[in-house]
Amino acid sequence: MHLDPFELHQPATVDEALCIYRDHAGDADYLAGGTDLLPNYKMHLNLRRHLIALGGIPELGGIALGRLGSMTRLADLEGSGPVAGAYPGVAEAVAEVATPLVRASGTVGGNLMLETRCFFFNQSRFWRASLGYCLKAEGAVCHVVPQKEKCYATFSGDLAPALAVLDAEVEVATDRGRTRIPLIDLYDLRGDGIRRHTLPPSAIVVAVHLPPIARQRLGTYRKLRIRPAFDFPELGVAVAVRFEGSSVAELRVAVGGLETAPRRFDELTDPLAGQQLTEERIRELAGAITRSVRPVYNTFLPPDYRRRMTGVFVRRALVDLAPASSAAA
Amino acid sequence: MASPTPPSPTGPFRLLGHRIPYVEGPLKVTGRAEYTDDLRRPGMLVGKLLRSPWPHARLLSIDTRRARAMPGVVTVLTGERYPTPFGVLPITHDETAIAVGKARYIGDILAAVAAVDELTAERALTAIEFHIEPLPEYADPRVGAEPVAEPIHAPGLRGSNVQKEVVQHFGDVDAAFAQAAFTARVRCRFAGVTHAFTEPLVTLAEATPDGRLTVYSATQVPHYLHRTLSEVLHLPMHRIRVVKPEVGGGFGGKSDPLPHEIACAALSLETGRPVKMLLDREEIFYTNHGRHPTENVVRIAMDRDGHLLAYDIEALLEGGAWSSFGTVTTYYNGVLAMGPYRVPNFRYRGRRVYTNRPPSGAMRAHGGTNIRYSIEVALDELAEHAQLDPFDLRSRNALPPCSTTINQFRITSTSFLRCLDAARRASEWDTKFRCLPYGRGVGLGCGFYISGSNSPIHFTPVMPQSTVHLKIDMDGGITVHSMQADIGQGSNTLLAAIVAEVLGADLDRVHVQRVDSDVSPIDIGSYSSRVTFMMGNAARRAAEEIRARLVNAAAELLRRPPSELRVGHERIEVADQPQVAVSFLDALHKAMENSGALTASGSFSTQKLGGDFKGARAGTAPAYSFAAYVAQVRVDSETGMVTVEKVWAAFDCGRALNRLAVEGQIEGAIHMGLGQLLSETMNYRASRLMNPALLDYKILAPDQMPEVEVLLVGEDDPEGPFGAKEAGEGPLVATLPAVANAIYDAVGVRCRELPVTPDRLERLVRARRAEGYAWKEDR
Repeated sequence: MHLDPFELHQPATVDEALCIYRDHAGDADYLAGGTDLLPNYKMHLNLRRHLIALGGIPELGGIALGRLGSMTRLADLEGSGPVAGAYPGVAEAVAEVATPLVRASGTVGGNLMLETRCFFFNQSRFWRASLGYCLKAEGAVCHVVPQKEKCYATFSGDLAPALAVLDAEVEVATDRGRTRIPLIDLYDLRGDGIRRHTLPPSAIVVAVHLPPIARQRLGTYRKLRIRPAFDFPELGVAVAVRFEGSSVAELRVAVGGLETAPRRFDELTDPLAGQQLTEERIRELAGAITRSVRPVYNTFLPPDYRRRMTGVFVRRALVDLAPASSAAA
Repeated sequence: MASPTPPSPTGPFRLLGHRIPYVEGPLKVTGRAEYTDDLRRPGMLVGKLLRSPWPHARLLSIDTRRARAMPGVVTVLTGERYPTPFGVLPITHDETAIAVGKARYIGDILAAVAAVDELTAERALTAIEFHIEPLPEYADPRVGAEPVAEPIHAPGLRGSNVQKEVVQHFGDVDAAFAQAAFTARVRCRFAGVTHAFTEPLVTLAEATPDGRLTVYSATQVPHYLHRTLSEVLHLPMHRIRVVKPEVGGGFGGKSDPLPHEIACAALSLETGRPVKMLLDREEIFYTNHGRHPTENVVRIAMDRDGHLLAYDIEALLEGGAWSSFGTVTTYYNGVLAMGPYRVPNFRYRGRRVYTNRPPSGAMRAHGGTNIRYSIEVALDELAEHAQLDPFDLRSRNALPPCSTTINQFRITSTSFLRCLDAARRASEWDTKFRCLPYGRGVGLGCGFYISGSNSPIHFTPVMPQSTVHLKIDMDGGITVHSMQADIGQGSNTLLAAIVAEVLGADLDRVHVQRVDSDVSPIDIGSYSSRVTFMMGNAARRAAEEIRARLVNAAAELLRRPPSELRVGHERIEVADQPQVAVSFLDALHKAMENSGALTASGSFSTQKLGGDFKGARAGTAPAYSFAAYVAQVRVDSETGMVTVEKVWAAFDCGRALNRLAVEGQIEGAIHMGLGQLLSETMNYRASRLMNPALLDYKILAPDQMPEVEVLLVGEDDPEGPFGAKEAGEGPLVATLPAVANAIYDAVGVRCRELPVTPDRLERLVRARRAEGYAWKEDR
């Protein structure tokens, strides 16, 4: 396998990058760490002839309390004790991404904007051709759930759920200027696996902003996969909670690795504000989340198992975080 | 001067028995070792293969004109140019270098292109046009075992896809079952697994105007490649030169002559230019030749006192598109059940079925892994029924030294009882078995493997299985030539160490030459765990011949009879007056006075072993290795995740000649065995391989590797070189059942389907709970 030739652009500012994208709209991709994009290019997945490298844009760098530049290397975040350690679950999530080698190149923004994955998509051109391609690349049919409307490729980033439960926001640059939106709104479950985010194609994630309240929460990230290295999540569960006394002040639960987008379950967790996190409430919440997720068979482990484990992981995470007085299990 | 030295714990030898770092290690860890892909030749072309997107299709016509016309494309080859069938076994030549008439699996080779660069070659592949007729696809060996509409090769039994059927019966199995006090029946299914060696498959071929062809290739068996190139390309062997540079792992996957090697050589012959062909990882998954997907049923009968009475075994092997080693595999899946226990009655029916999938073949612990798993799990069940400790059951049935099995395997040395004893004590088994809390457990699995196949595959011409040549000139350097193939297992180091040991020379005097058929005497290569035993004996003989000449020369210099002399470190000395000596170099120069450089040849063949019935030679070997492993695991009963905490690996390889290499082999084999047990799988949907990539083919991560305590307890083998037997493949087989039995001890479920992925184990645990009976938690 080889990389087809492409033209590499190296802008120095966000505006320049946007401008280059506009000049080659439809035939350009942004290049962050390249650990996902370039292997996909080797497989000839949705090739573009123009790659716009973001590594030379100073504004996208920087790592500080409250702000993670999108080009922050995962390894740098992992190694930034004061920052990663200040945000519960983030250090765990970043340390679970792939391997040390990948984390040395991979970036925060790249992990957030990760291409969705599927057994029928992440294959060589030869492999896909032998099956007639798929909805997400060059084909007309989805092989996971055979039909022609929706792609079921799975969102497989680890950072998105972990940052989403901290109420992180992303700063986004588009042709129409800068906006700041809740990180979870980058993803839209009503969409499908073909698009990995809700932004216009030209948009650039500039930075992740974390509210001060996030530092007052307890949190964790738990990842299901066959191997403790290499593998994308078959399920990722992030939980963050702040207690006032023995009662819940805010509780957030998000999952990744199950569906076309990560999901946060505010409608199930908001009613728990002011309540004690009893064993029974934890079980009810875990059960409700389990019932609402819909994984499909396009990763290594079967979907019924990943669903059952969603409940187990949510329950275990909450039990570990709950004050000893409220949850006994 | 000489003070008495205490006997060394590592034995009587200066080098052998110690921990000897690999002689090529410094080159490998600094990136200076030369592998095939490191080689470049002037004017070299790039070879690429077009592969079939169809699982089974008749090739009606092929049009290569557009591809040939592309600038930079030098030639395009299709199957009919070199259609001679080949295969590693002379009795099953069913492969061709490039498909002729039919495509038989997704990934089958349809055409080969030589072009000036990779991009041009890949573009040319897309310009080749085919007309085909799709044929029925056979992915399930159970379907192919019955008559089929369109057999994949010439029709097998009753018009089926059966490639080989083996039926054997010794004693009277039904009568034994009729008298049994205890019986067990185990049916297991094993997914296919593949070697996943680090160095990709790669070949560089160079046809030259003098009418010769040189082929550099990543191969375990240069000699079989040499023969096959000659047969298919119709060139006499003496005009072909096969060179084996460093090889980065094989595990059986580089032991067949492979079609891309021949296609690459053919491209060079056609173009008259050097051609390199480097396969990508996906192509390597399609080339496969890995462990057969298998379903087996094992029934065991035992008497009231815990003596085994009979085995009754059936195995169905999925062969994929070619025969490869499959006839041997079909025998092995029965006969390698025979050790390490005495089994007075034995019946076996094995069938291997072609399918439209990548070919299965030989993989580390070839033919012995899956059957061993089922046997050892069944014995664990029998021990439980009979309320016997699993160790006691096994020691009660151990094959004694100097015995013969019912199918006439000759057992010489066995330290199996010592293995059992060592593993039991080191693991503190008696305080743990059925005593650890729920979710934690220990299990015992044992092993048995051939130390070199008695049968050399090719019987003509009659020749030794190993030959080693030595040459020493006045510089005092010792050059060793042999076609044994170091593939990372340390055979070059062992060869050097044996020669140095016999001659009393420093290890750095010895240089093992790269395998090159122009100068290396034939050795039949690195498979069947034969190298230490056979090459080791050949090397020893060659070195002893040189030693005799050095001793004679020293005798002249010292004016003593040779019988009074012995070899010391870098010198030859008077045995009872060691201060009287000549140096190695002085003895060498004296010995050279009339002959020039000293040369010697040593060789080794096994004697004919086994009975006279059909298939009697399958599984015969000049010696066997034995193993007893205890694994300790932790199982998360809610998620099905297994953590293997520790493995105590008691192994009988006779005398371990390089302890460092033996420990490495055992650790590596355990890693590989754990992968097959827990997560590795050739994941097919019908004929389609879903995971032809290392991200989705789940080899255990380094941090999943348990602590391994290696217990080398073997006593000297009477025929092995310096008492040694194999340690390359046998160390794998005990791993899988030891862990499976430990999982049973932990959570009370039997794993019948491999790999034991967490979802499968979680389902088993839930099912057991749903049935309402508890495991250790209620005790």
